[in-house]
Amino acid sequence: MSRIRRFTLVQRLFHLLLMLSFLTQAATGLGRMYIETSWGSLVASFFGGYELSLTIHRWVGLFMLSLLGVHIIYVLATIEWRGFPKRLMGPDSLLPHKDDLKQALGHVGWMVGLAPQPRLDRWTYWEKFDYWAVFWGLFILGGTGLLLFNPVASSHILPGWGLNVTLWVHRIEAALAMAHIFIIHFFIGHLRREQFPMDLVMFEGSVDRDKLSHERPAWVERLQREGRLEDLEVPPKPLRWRVAYYIFGYTAMIACLFLFVGALSYSRLVTW
Amino acid sequence: MIKIGCRGCLLWCLLVAVGSGFFFWPVEATAQEEVASAIRRYKDREASTGYYEEYEVRPRRQRPLVGVPGVARGVFPYSPSAAAVRVTTRLADSHRGVQFYYNRRCQDCHPQQAKDYHTTREKLTCRQCHGGEPIASIQHYYSPLNPIRRHAYVCAKCHQGASASFASYVVHEPSPAALETRQSFPVLFYAFWIMVALAGGTFLVFLPHTILWGLRELLARRRKHGEQD
Repeated sequence: MSRIRRFTLVQRLFHLLLMLSFLTQAATGLGRMYIETSWGSLVASFFGGYELSLTIHRWVGLFMLSLLGVHIIYVLATIEWRGFPKRLMGPDSLLPHKDDLKQALGHVGWMVGLAPQPRLDRWTYWEKFDYWAVFWGLFILGGTGLLLFNPVASSHILPGWGLNVTLWVHRIEAALAMAHIFIIHFFIGHLRREQFPMDLVMFEGSVDRDKLSHERPAWVERLQREGRLEDLEVPPKPLRWRVAYYIFGYTAMIACLFLFVGALSYSRLVTW
Repeated sequence: MIKIGCRGCLLWCLLVAVGSGFFFWPVEATAQEEVASAIRRYKDREASTGYYEEYEVRPRRQRPLVGVPGVARGVFPYSPSAAAVRVTTRLADSHRGVQFYYNRRCQDCHPQQAKDYHTTREKLTCRQCHGGEPIASIQHYYSPLNPIRRHAYVCAKCHQGASASFASYVVHEPSPAALETRQSFPVLFYAFWIMVALAGGTFLVFLPHTILWGLRELLARRRKHGEQD
């Protein structure tokens, strides 16, 4: 059973750090927002209470922004500038393309039984959406977060009442990000039947060749045509690593489920 | 027949008395911590516990030094002419003339104002910002909350270095979703609804997409190993 590499070690590391920092931000943010409720103070107590939660939230937020900076440098360094700008429009690029819309419509058509399954390439439209959504989210959350980092200082560059607005924008965007990750990302990535119980590709880096040619036939054919498929073949990870991935992944998912259910069920008790 | 001696009888009576004491013991008043005088017992309590201004105490029963000329004390006479004198946003004692004022707590009349983060999360009391009796109207020239000195006299007590701009933060924030906020705080209103539309729009697309996808895969024929679609 040969395996094809989809993500490099650096890319997996980016995902791991993003995931850990996102979860920390979600927990510290929700703990503070729900501090009036027993659930909120429980969540905040994991991080040393109301005050310390905010301190952690601030510094992890700065860490996420620097991670974004490092990622942008990484992307600029990995782009193959020789084929610029034509290659950026190609199937190996994460930039949105008009084919994505066609594939999205085709995919919905397949869901309702009107069309055959679209032949997906290396990056699917929902993956591109998830990728760019992180930028969008980090710009809004990071921008408002920086303003809220030190309200006294930031009131020199915007009127104090702007902080009321900033906090609400931060909060709604955070709710959107969390709900998207906890419902849509987890379902598409891990819980739908094709992927259940968990898609390890983002931890393991590689995917089974059979599965890949079912999932992304256009990419596999393109690689075969260009004779690059063999270059991407990697040995499977040892069992103990796979077990560790499952344990880690499910721990994170259960933690997120705890946050999601708690946030929903206690939302009525919070003074908004 | 059981014989009970004199001492036994006494012991029995004592037991019954103590036992019934459990039933007739007065319920401890939950309001005992709230004291009427801001000068005596409450100050003592603050000094002995080290916790200052934890509880809201009722206003002291002494006449404020400021007042409305011509009105000695008590209920302000409501009349068309008096109403012209009384501009509520600019009074030295904004509560002067309010009936039964001394028996009320702030949130009895201002329930919405007690639902801000300074109160619900940071556990501040009204008086920590609005000051003791007499509570001046915010626009009164000598009020600590007058925008000309609010940042220095109130905000900076906790937010070191607060500027006048900082002090324009709306502590008693209106509900951003409410239609009235479009008049009172339009930027908050529109920012809120634009963000909600953004979030709602995302889920309007992705929720049905995800549900349909899940159902389609659940109902699909199981793919055999190595089979292509």
